[in-house]
Amino acid sequence: MSPLLLQGVASGIVTGCVYALIALSLVIVYKSSDVINFAGGEMVMLGGYLGMFALLWLGLPYLLIFPFGALMIFIVGALFDRVVLTRVVGRTIPGQSILVAMIIGTVGLSYVLKGAVRVIPYTEEVRRLPPFSSGAPIFIGPVVLQHQDIAIVVAAVAIMAALWAFFSFTLVGKALRATSQNPRAAALVGIPVRVMSMTAWGLAAALAGVAGILLAPKLLITPDMGVIVILALAAAIIGGFVSLPGCVAGGIVLGVVQNLIGLYVSSRAISLAPFLVIMIVLLLRPQGLFAGKAAAKKV
Amino acid sequence: MSVIRTTLFAAALAVVLSAPARAADPGITDSEITIGLFAPMSGPLAAFGLDALQAAKMWYEETNKKGGIHGRKIKVIVEDDKCVPNEVVAVVKKLITVDKTFIVHGGSCTAAAVAAQEFVTREKVPHVMLNASGDGAVIPPTRYVFGAFAGTQRTVGATLAEFAVKELKGKRIAVIAHDDEYGVANSATLKAVATALGAQIVAAELISPRVTDVTAPLLTIRAANPDVIVSTAYPGPAVLIGQKYGEFAMMKTPLVQAIQGIPVPAVYAKNVGNDAALTNFYYGSPLNDLTEGPKQQKWLALYKQYYPDRQPSGFMAYGLPSAMAVTRALEKAGKDVTRESFIDALETVNFDSEVIAGPTAFAKDRRDGARSSLFIKFDGKTHTLMPGVYTWDGKAGM
Repeated sequence: MSPLLLQGVASGIVTGCVYALIALSLVIVYKSSDVINFAGGEMVMLGGYLGMFALLWLGLPYLLIFPFGALMIFIVGALFDRVVLTRVVGRTIPGQSILVAMIIGTVGLSYVLKGAVRVIPYTEEVRRLPPFSSGAPIFIGPVVLQHQDIAIVVAAVAIMAALWAFFSFTLVGKALRATSQNPRAAALVGIPVRVMSMTAWGLAAALAGVAGILLAPKLLITPDMGVIVILALAAAIIGGFVSLPGCVAGGIVLGVVQNLIGLYVSSRAISLAPFLVIMIVLLLRPQGLFAGKAAAKKV
Repeated sequence: MSVIRTTLFAAALAVVLSAPARAADPGITDSEITIGLFAPMSGPLAAFGLDALQAAKMWYEETNKKGGIHGRKIKVIVEDDKCVPNEVVAVVKKLITVDKTFIVHGGSCTAAAVAAQEFVTREKVPHVMLNASGDGAVIPPTRYVFGAFAGTQRTVGATLAEFAVKELKGKRIAVIAHDDEYGVANSATLKAVATALGAQIVAAELISPRVTDVTAPLLTIRAANPDVIVSTAYPGPAVLIGQKYGEFAMMKTPLVQAIQGIPVPAVYAKNVGNDAALTNFYYGSPLNDLTEGPKQQKWLALYKQYYPDRQPSGFMAYGLPSAMAVTRALEKAGKDVTRESFIDALETVNFDSEVIAGPTAFAKDRRDGARSSLFIKFDGKTHTLMPGVYTWDGKAGM
């Protein structure tokens, strides 16, 4: 393999891990409420700014800004579900699609978050969090990686593993899965469906926020950084939108494909990569690469 | 009776003939000239316009303190355009039709300024842009619109190429630009000038302004083995380029970034976060000195007098040359100035603003006010002016 190709693949895996985290956030919301969260990107952006706020103003140690950011955005996500979505659903008139109203609610949230951040003068300039792990570059053969890159992969893998353990072994995780599969049956066995919905939104928002803090040293923080959600959307579609492992693989595939397109086709085509991938997957395998043909929509 | 009638007719004719032509144009009286001044003063792009607008206003007030122009004081009506095209059109229409201003002076974003072009041309009202510098507003030239007081993107491309080849002795140049109107204009001129100077373009990477990862273009450039890398990216992508350049240890090759990527060099250095990535780094500037250099001090001091509570951004000085050009053209046009004679006069201005690197000049076939840049070496702490002023000839890339 040429060094160029190896470097492209390695760097693609690093950025793909972050796409995967954001995609996980989208999939959790989708599985719990059938809604695509168009505010996912702005939650990433908010995570970045909260991380910076915690680090620079509150003076928290770097490791603590992750739980701080996650907690703050968990509250934003849970409140959005409780205050906005519940009312939107409750006020839908007969014949009107609940999903459309909820999706418009997420679009509204994206504008509210972006607007709220923009009124702060500090956001006029692009900002960047310092790397949370630094040192001399690491050479693996011809491939150069930064400590930051390794830390991003490790953090992303750890979060994914924790998420898997949460859904597989904890009572709340199992209750969330039960609610997403059949809310009525879940309610009948005593699961507080309303609380579960808030938890799912909060968890998804927290994931997006943590992804924002991980991204902030690499991609810069601006009020417009939420556009990255399109990449996460592509990753989720590759994974079939209902499969958590699928969207992780989708994120990594997308990160690598982006780099390969940039290297072997044109740098101009990089921004087309997610749209291209979305179209190809929808045309050839609409259920996603990691879902079987007969797979149920919710698992 | 006929004598009286003849006398009255003669008197009336004399009054009509002696009435100054200016009577036909609104916004000007014997004691006052009204100018509509606008820029983004709120919203996400306010940083581009607020200080530039205040600097222009300051210049008009200074002119008034010295007695005005041909006995007339300048009255300014200020509006906020938010850099939104629809807002700009509404603001310009209001200034011209409601406030009856003599000319309009404003615009910090080219796309927004271009939106007003059709209206000012139809109404035959001179529009002098504030600090918007995109090529689209001034190339090809139209009679009523003047601007680019900090140089167009063609100037950016041409001067970067000249600096890379002449000063940095580049023979193999790599270019990174955006795939939008700005990028196409500056990269085409850059390539034309570099090639004319005998250099070879070994990589030309066009990236989206919203790019989130520049690994691929930087790897492509590294593989092309250039001896100078030139970037015309905006602030966000410029930082990403600086980061990857450092990560891939490409510091043996000089990196030159255009001014639009480095509005505040200290912020750029902080965001790149790697001192090593600044060991061979340069950026261009349309000013005649460092932002806080000796030649800029008098403007900074004057600004402080007018706005003691405001710390000016790097865009402040860009508002001055346009106001200077307006006052010079009003002087040249004489006491009986009209909108048309103002334009004729503006077409002949050619002066050293003591703000920007080269002369501020227009001509019958030229509507971009500045064509020069200088370059600065920056290691994260110290700014060092590089020798020479580099100038676009007005032809390359056209």
